[in-house]
Amino acid sequence: MKALALSVLSLALYAGATFADEEITLSVIADDLNQPWGLAQLPDQSWLVTERGGRLLHIDANSNATQTVALNLPNLFAEAQAGLFEVLLAPDFEQSRKVYLSYACGVASRNTTCVSVGMLNQEATEVSNLEVIFSGTDKKGAAHYGGRMTWLPDATLLLTLGDGFDYREQAQNLDSYLGKIVRMNADGSVPEDNPFRHKEAPLIYSYGHRNVQGIVYDAERDAIWQHEHGPRGGDELNKIEAGKNYGWPLVTYGIDYTGAYVSPLQKLPGTVQPLLQWTPSLAPAGLALHNGDLWVAHLAGQRLQRFRFVDGKWQQSQDFLQERETRYRAVASGSDGRLYILEDSPNAKLLAISY
Amino acid sequence: MIRIALAFLVALVVASITAAIIQTQFNIAALQDWSVEIDWALRKEATFHDIINFSPTFAIILGTSLLVSLPVAYFIDRRRPNPEPIWFLVGGAVGLWVAFLIVDALLPMPTLIAVNRTLPGLVSMVACGGLAGYLFARVSKISSYSSHQSEGAAA
Repeated sequence: MKALALSVLSLALYAGATFADEEITLSVIADDLNQPWGLAQLPDQSWLVTERGGRLLHIDANSNATQTVALNLPNLFAEAQAGLFEVLLAPDFEQSRKVYLSYACGVASRNTTCVSVGMLNQEATEVSNLEVIFSGTDKKGAAHYGGRMTWLPDATLLLTLGDGFDYREQAQNLDSYLGKIVRMNADGSVPEDNPFRHKEAPLIYSYGHRNVQGIVYDAERDAIWQHEHGPRGGDELNKIEAGKNYGWPLVTYGIDYTGAYVSPLQKLPGTVQPLLQWTPSLAPAGLALHNGDLWVAHLAGQRLQRFRFVDGKWQQSQDFLQERETRYRAVASGSDGRLYILEDSPNAKLLAISY
Repeated sequence: MIRIALAFLVALVVASITAAIIQTQFNIAALQDWSVEIDWALRKEATFHDIINFSPTFAIILGTSLLVSLPVAYFIDRRRPNPEPIWFLVGGAVGLWVAFLIVDALLPMPTLIAVNRTLPGLVSMVACGGLAGYLFARVSKISSYSSHQSEGAAA
């Protein structure tokens, strides 16, 4: 009944919505999601969706049926920005049934970003045999965890991390995981060719990040695209390369929430400039490659942006879904040719668009 | 009443500008710790930027706290045998410190004002609250100290 109602609702409200230069069809796949954060599509085209509070859901995109997946994450810390973040299938998922989950772990006075790997059963009703393979640098407070993940072609895993907000200078410290992107083998061990081998943080792949909320590997261009939140202004889209310093907080196009400079500098030798920056901030929170285009979901900006690769550069081509006045948390490319989007609210929807 | 309003304004403006200048130097020092070169011209530019852009934020927090802390200081001051503006200084400082605690508890970010992340930084910002309280007492002459002086002179 619920599924039928959703289908009717999606058809009535959204089918055939016309945008500036392209017609897209928007469908509601699921609703009543409580602060959803990440999504991953299973081989049968159903979806796993995380909720920040710690719930993992299995959603059938055809019947719209939603069921809770039993999950007992060790030491989960869910408060403010902390909680369950991303779910990512192992590259060999069809054989191994392994899923990777990033989440905040610990307590308010001492917590960090963790990654656990577990086995999803065939019925997609339970994740078992969970094992923690990564635990970052401890900090206080419940802000700026990063938490996005993607696989590289050599089956190493990239995990994005935040600066913990109060620890922004640590983004430059190569003995701390705060404000970094880390690269690990599938079992959490250190790849032989990682750029840094600092004893306290041997997994660092790139540094000088504030709060990375989107990362994707682009096989067509053999590149890693990433975006991160600036403070007030200075959200960035970057091309990530091993060993590079992306500048935070030494350089930024944003200012602090108080109006003060974080740094009066926007450029500095030895730091990488963003490919583009959003000022004022739109708070990019999800990133996907779909049909060769780069799609960015925005929280504060309440829109979905498409970028096209023209003459070796990403160029903003179109904004979508602004009229819905809703925050968007994540975006993912579906194997059925549709683009899937998660709203960000205590009563959020999983949407699909086709065009 | 006009004198009190003027004193409040003077205290707020002077303390907020002072706080902006101080916090800029802390932030620049943090950058210099990572070998970033900040010459005198850039330091001046950053300080001026923060006076214009940080001071209003600080003034809102400080002003709100003073609306509570100054009457409390006045209440205490009136009941001391040897009243002095020190009570306004202490009131301004403690009031601002409490305001920081409330703001940081209410807002999503752990610490709104970056300089407050370290004890020296927090002490310097709280001291600006004390400066505001003291300036208010002296300019308004609301303290019994001033009244006492006036009464002594009249006698």
